[in-house]
Amino acid sequence: MNRVVLIAGILITVALVAILSAGLGKDPQHIDSPLIGKQAPDFALKAVGTGETIDLTQFRGKPLVVNFWATWCRPCYEEHPVLVSNAQMMQGQVQFLGVVFQDKEEKIQQFLNERGTAYPTLVDQAGKTAIAYGVGGVPETFFLNKDGRIVDKFVGPIDSESLQTNIRKAMTQ
Amino acid sequence: MKRLILLLMLATSLVAQEVKIPDAEQFVGKPQGQPVSGALLDQRTNETGGLLRCPVCQGMSIADSPSEMAVNMKHQVRELIARGYTQEQILRYFERSYGQFVLLKPKFQGVNTLVWILPIIALAVGAFAIFSMMGKSGSQPVDEPPVATAEEDPYLAEVRKLTGRQS
Repeated sequence: MNRVVLIAGILITVALVAILSAGLGKDPQHIDSPLIGKQAPDFALKAVGTGETIDLTQFRGKPLVVNFWATWCRPCYEEHPVLVSNAQMMQGQVQFLGVVFQDKEEKIQQFLNERGTAYPTLVDQAGKTAIAYGVGGVPETFFLNKDGRIVDKFVGPIDSESLQTNIRKAMTQ
Repeated sequence: MKRLILLLMLATSLVAQEVKIPDAEQFVGKPQGQPVSGALLDQRTNETGGLLRCPVCQGMSIADSPSEMAVNMKHQVRELIARGYTQEQILRYFERSYGQFVLLKPKFQGVNTLVWILPIIALAVGAFAIFSMMGKSGSQPVDEPPVATAEEDPYLAEVRKLTGRQS
């Protein structure tokens, strides 16, 4: 009997240790997106400044970088110059789009005036586009291939290297 | 003719200007229930919101969280219920975007099955171990205290001598 209890105890402990150690080192906030490999939800939103409606489908045929951000998000300040410089560098090859989430248009305009931009910035309405993309917190960046399929997602402020790696993935997949 | 062309151009530009927000119908089809309003709408919104995890909180449902993200999600749940979407369709819609993480009640499938089964197995193993140990201790003969003999104990030998008893 004691042997049975001992074996059961060892098995439960080993299983628990295996489950817990598998999660060690992982970012608890990171959630794998179920949208990777799927067609990106379509949207057409108003651009800040011009008021023009930009439709996601108008960029079919070109890889797309869709960045969800907000002016109240500190890490977004950090990644903004990275996105702008890469968008300028890859103009004509890759289309960048910013989608601003839970924010006011005046604040967004002020942010862009102060820090510059190189691509359209769209205003999400009631966070519905962000919800359709499974955005948990900003910044989050989605990489779409030329057919509009999501090939990857990056959570947090993106650096130039990660941006280029994911763009290459969007260009080849 | 010129006017007709102008009108057509105007209509085309208006269509092109239309804002399009991703809609649940695109992902989970048309509503399968009846449109709801009033107190029933509030009740169903809270019920369904209680089953969805707020993605920016620590284990809170969107029904309980005051965060703007949760409030937006709750508004969307309310709007979908009002349009006649069923709870199952709404959960499926959010799961499609956020994955099973968003469901506060994990589904009985795949690795999640362990979440449901392991506690029952652990409880059964524990109960079995306790009952087995109790049964074993109940059936074990109780050790009687050793009885001293007159040869070992001179005092006992003297008492027996005086009382005339041998045992």
